Amino acid sequence: MLGCARYTAMVPKTMKLFADSASSFIVNQPDAMERRRAWSAFESVGLPTTADEVWRYAPLRDLDLDSYRVPDAPATAPDTHFATMLASRAGLVVRVVDGFCVSTGAPFDGVEVELIETIGSISGVDFIDHYAGDTFAVLNGALSPSTTVIRVAPGVVVDRPIVVVNSSNCSASFPRTQIVMGRGSSATVVEYFEGGDQALVVPLSEYAIGDAASLQLITYQRLSPSAWHVARTTGFLGRDARMRQAVIGFGGHYNRSRNDAEMLGSGAENELRTTFLGSGDQVHDFRTHQFHKAARTRSTLLSKGAVADQSRSVYTGLIEIEKGAKRTDARQTNHNLLLSPAAHADSVPNLDIRENDVVCAHASSVGPLDEMQRWYLESRGVTRNDAERLMIQGFFYEMLTSLPTELAGLVESDVTSVLSTLERVLS
Amino acid sequence: MTSTLKVQGLRVEVSGKEVLRGLDLEMSSGEVHVIMGPNGSGKSTLAHALSGRPGYRVLDGSVTIDGIELLTLTPTERARHGLLLALQQPLEVPGVRPIDLLAAAGADVRDLRERMREESLNVELRPEVLDRFVNVDLSGGERKRAEMVQLAILRPKFAVLDEIDSGLDVDALGAVARRLALSTTQWGCGVLAITHFRRLLQELTPTMIHVVSDGRVVATGGPELAEVLERDGYEPFRVARH
Repeated sequence: MLGCARYTAMVPKTMKLFADSASSFIVNQPDAMERRRAWSAFESVGLPTTADEVWRYAPLRDLDLDSYRVPDAPATAPDTHFATMLASRAGLVVRVVDGFCVSTGAPFDGVEVELIETIGSISGVDFIDHYAGDTFAVLNGALSPSTTVIRVAPGVVVDRPIVVVNSSNCSASFPRTQIVMGRGSSATVVEYFEGGDQALVVPLSEYAIGDAASLQLITYQRLSPSAWHVARTTGFLGRDARMRQAVIGFGGHYNRSRNDAEMLGSGAENELRTTFLGSGDQVHDFRTHQFHKAARTRSTLLSKGAVADQSRSVYTGLIEIEKGAKRTDARQTNHNLLLSPAAHADSVPNLDIRENDVVCAHASSVGPLDEMQRWYLESRGVTRNDAERLMIQGFFYEMLTSLPTELAGLVESDVTSVLSTLERVLS
Repeated sequence: MTSTLKVQGLRVEVSGKEVLRGLDLEMSSGEVHVIMGPNGSGKSTLAHALSGRPGYRVLDGSVTIDGIELLTLTPTERARHGLLLALQQPLEVPGVRPIDLLAAAGADVRDLRERMREESLNVELRPEVLDRFVNVDLSGGERKRAEMVQLAILRPKFAVLDEIDSGLDVDALGAVARRLALSTTQWGCGVLAITHFRRLLQELTPTMIHVVSDGRVVATGGPELAEVLERDGYEPFRVARH
């Protein structure tokens, strides 16, 4: 896989050209005032430095904002074969190019797709206030062309998956998605990201899961290894709501994925699985915040990944339990696999618990594959290399179990093709 | 072609304790040999040592198939030379599908799915169970039937079964025993079955029975030996440690 050596600047950077392109984009938008406010918030926070704890591991000296331009229209590019195949297996396909929603798909019973041009957050708090301090989130606020809102009506069970194909063909894109699940509804959504050659991709997604609703979500990130990908997702869960989220990260020179869940209603349940494979000089930076605000809420988090070559990974997870969130059950597990002596993995689990009547556990490990599982495969005649390849591939396959079989099969074969290009790092 | 599995003077240490203390055994294709013995006699250690399980240290001895020494080979190479171990508790391997395991193990990939389906039906296992990850969310009985599907696809020269009958209900036991009996004629599989129980032998007629005590074979005989064990227990066969 290609390394990315084009960023070498060590001198203080300007971002005049980027700011000019942002300014000419903003001026044409209906809510230019609000966007300017977001842009000011971005400017006042500024770009992070590695002195900020939460950016400690990011290769920030490689980030040159002035090499990016904010597009005022989507660039056209043909769908990749994989995107076409993915779409053909979906019940509803929403297409987003360079952050611009270009198709909301064919009408679909019980599901409505709408574009909202103003900045808004499902949190109920003003967008800029809610994301204050998060540079890239407020940048998304200023520069996302519109919010793609997917609404599933109350009580509707969507039996075929909804696929959101995000392709990035320009140098910068800021997709924003909201999924709103009505009370008692259920759906499976795939958010897929591709393209992003030498690009900055900053997606922001919010999910509102109504009382007793259920959302299965797969985020599949297949951007170019030269991309800067800084993503943030937040789930807001009502009473007895359920969100199962799987986040798969392959691409990105820097792949940052922050996945939060706020369990607001009692009995809410969040299952989050993240996985990645690092190669070259990639940095995979996964951050999670499981926020238990109500009683009898549950969260299960499993982050599992492998780093090869000189790549590195960071897992930083916080479980926060509010006073009064009695009988909460929160579990966090992080396993990292080192595939080369120059690769590196950090694991930073954190707990912030303000209630006594809870069960809370976290575990993390950095090490080799399970020796007994590997022996079992070998004892059937599988070579050691193949056994390890199957087991690493298994990290990803495990993420896909909530998908319908034929869609899972498609993504699995894509995963396998990515892994086969990395054969050398796995042997 | 008839193959021979020969174990000579095998001594194996587990956790610093010598469990096998000079075990000898010889069997040929198409034969069914049964190893019986009290708990702690070394039966399972034999099975795991044969397949090179981590933590089982061979101190001395030799294990060959048709003259090829296995003990210096990796677990993979041992399997490729025709040895397959079916476990008492088949391990879960999350994320790995049985079909991918079998293809990587060298099974012919043509019609593999179809053959797996047929072999599942042969042991009365719902074929969809094999769409799950290896042994994940399978009941004890399903796991052992699934091991039989692997056996049927991989067609080893010798199958070593570590207490495959423990924890099985009568139906599952019958299905497993019938599959093993069929394998001896279908491709001349030699079956080395380690068991506590006689009931496996009701549908799988042994060529020979070996009684193991204190890490050695202390008695060898025909099927009638099982009846003696049933009646008198292992006590008469115990040997004093020295």
